Amino acid sequence: MTQEIKPHPLAAVAEPNLLDQTFEYSLPPRIRFESPVVEIIDGQPVEFDPRTIPQRDIVITDTTFRDGQQARPPYTIDQMVHIYDLLSRLSGPNGVIRQTEFFLYTKNDRATLDRCRELGHRFPECTGWIRAVKGDFRLVKEAGLSETGMLTSCSDYHIFLKLKFDRKQALDSYCSVVDAALEAGVRPRCHLEDITRADIDGFVLPFIDRLMEMSRQVPEHLTVKIRLCDTMGFGLSYPGVELPRSIPKLIYKINRECGVPSDRLEWHGHNDFHKVHVNGATAWLYGCNALNSTLFGFGERTGNPPLEGAVMEYIALKGDMCGLDTTAITVLADYMRSIGMPIPDHYPFVGRAFNTTRAGIHAGGLRQDERIYNIFDTAKVLGRPPRVAITDKSGADGVAVWVNEYFCLSGADRINKIKVHPVARWVLDQYEIHGRLTTISDEEMEAKVKELLPDYWDKYKKPSITNT
Amino acid sequence: MEKGEIQERVIKVVSNVLKVDPSMVEPDSNFVFDLGAESTQSVQLVAAFEEEFNVEMDNEAALSIQTVGGAVDFITRYVQ
Repeated sequence: MTQEIKPHPLAAVAEPNLLDQTFEYSLPPRIRFESPVVEIIDGQPVEFDPRTIPQRDIVITDTTFRDGQQARPPYTIDQMVHIYDLLSRLSGPNGVIRQTEFFLYTKNDRATLDRCRELGHRFPECTGWIRAVKGDFRLVKEAGLSETGMLTSCSDYHIFLKLKFDRKQALDSYCSVVDAALEAGVRPRCHLEDITRADIDGFVLPFIDRLMEMSRQVPEHLTVKIRLCDTMGFGLSYPGVELPRSIPKLIYKINRECGVPSDRLEWHGHNDFHKVHVNGATAWLYGCNALNSTLFGFGERTGNPPLEGAVMEYIALKGDMCGLDTTAITVLADYMRSIGMPIPDHYPFVGRAFNTTRAGIHAGGLRQDERIYNIFDTAKVLGRPPRVAITDKSGADGVAVWVNEYFCLSGADRINKIKVHPVARWVLDQYEIHGRLTTISDEEMEAKVKELLPDYWDKYKKPSITNT
Repeated sequence: MEKGEIQERVIKVVSNVLKVDPSMVEPDSNFVFDLGAESTQSVQLVAAFEEEFNVEMDNEAALSIQTVGGAVDFITRYVQ
């Protein structure tokens, strides 16, 4: 079959087209859809319309204190209370970070929950997490929580190999704990562990049918929520993938065949195959309203959807900040570092080097217009202006960007690269004459600017480098 | 200032900054290909010309000059 070649004439415009509708610099770039998405399910085309996202009440939920804490030594109570306080600041008045969950097993777990609630924040709402055994449910009642997650593992790996149940025993056991929750007036959130490796038709859907039947007997605020747990990171976002790994099909079956509404569906992922963030966003697009995440993706093994990534995705999908205080992300990252949690330098949005360029040609672009090499207005959104790291590749352009940022100069006040040439020469000599192999530190640059640009130093000097 | 004097002083500056013998610097010498100027040295040259002739030049235009003769013509516009 031959395909007709379509000509593409050049649009020779006088003014640049910066695609502002998508790349409005003050926000993370918008994700704009131009059509519905079609997935073939059980041989039939099924339509999903991601253009409804701005109107849907999608939210982010947090499991930093539960799954996040499973991957590290325990936080102190004070640390958790401070993190919770900052999560609330990030969440904003609309509750974009809608809920966070707490272990309830130790005295410290319960004390932490109490102190977080004493702060009086509306969001994130505090919920619990227990195994699906009646003995654990007592902890939820004692803590006075209105909602708790409970582990309801649903693959045969877990039912047969871990729990030593058969499917009917597992289903009856889970339902008895759900019953106990409903009787006590606590909303159950069933965490369907290992759903992407489960028998969907043979266990998952019958179990959810039972949960929906139970939900019909109780008031709306007690109806069962479903968390789809991609425990091993096997979930896939690609169209055409078969169950149980297909995220679109999983959500379709539960949402439209079982009738679980979107506001009672939540996605919980893991990053074993580097798919964790996109899988979470895919769940949003196909009908889950809640995306469960952890700060900086810390979580069991390879981690969970990074909360700050979900925040950026949220803004990109909604096209609005939605009340989020995104500068709290930077404060949270600084705090995590201060308590010994490593964040790689090149980690998106919060790594020390996430918006730092090293190449002179990129620095030249930054010098002319920071939009050329900065992903969005990182100074406004994250309190982190773009930076240059000084190496042999930086050139006079890189040195000029560093000096202007150091002196906080903008517009016509900015010092051009000709004026900083003594520092640029000194930098290059470190590598060409002295054989240096490491980046020039901010402290060294500060000293050299003072020595080699004394006039500018006297005019613009500031105490010392404090913000990296 | 006479153009001949400007050329003489330009050659002196080029010779100092690029560390080449003045006899090798001719009006049609290309800064990069004939005299081996690197990126940072181009910036140093512009700064040295500004200092030598006590002028403030359009930096981007100055950095686009490729030959010694071009620099002489460019500087002549500022000093006359």
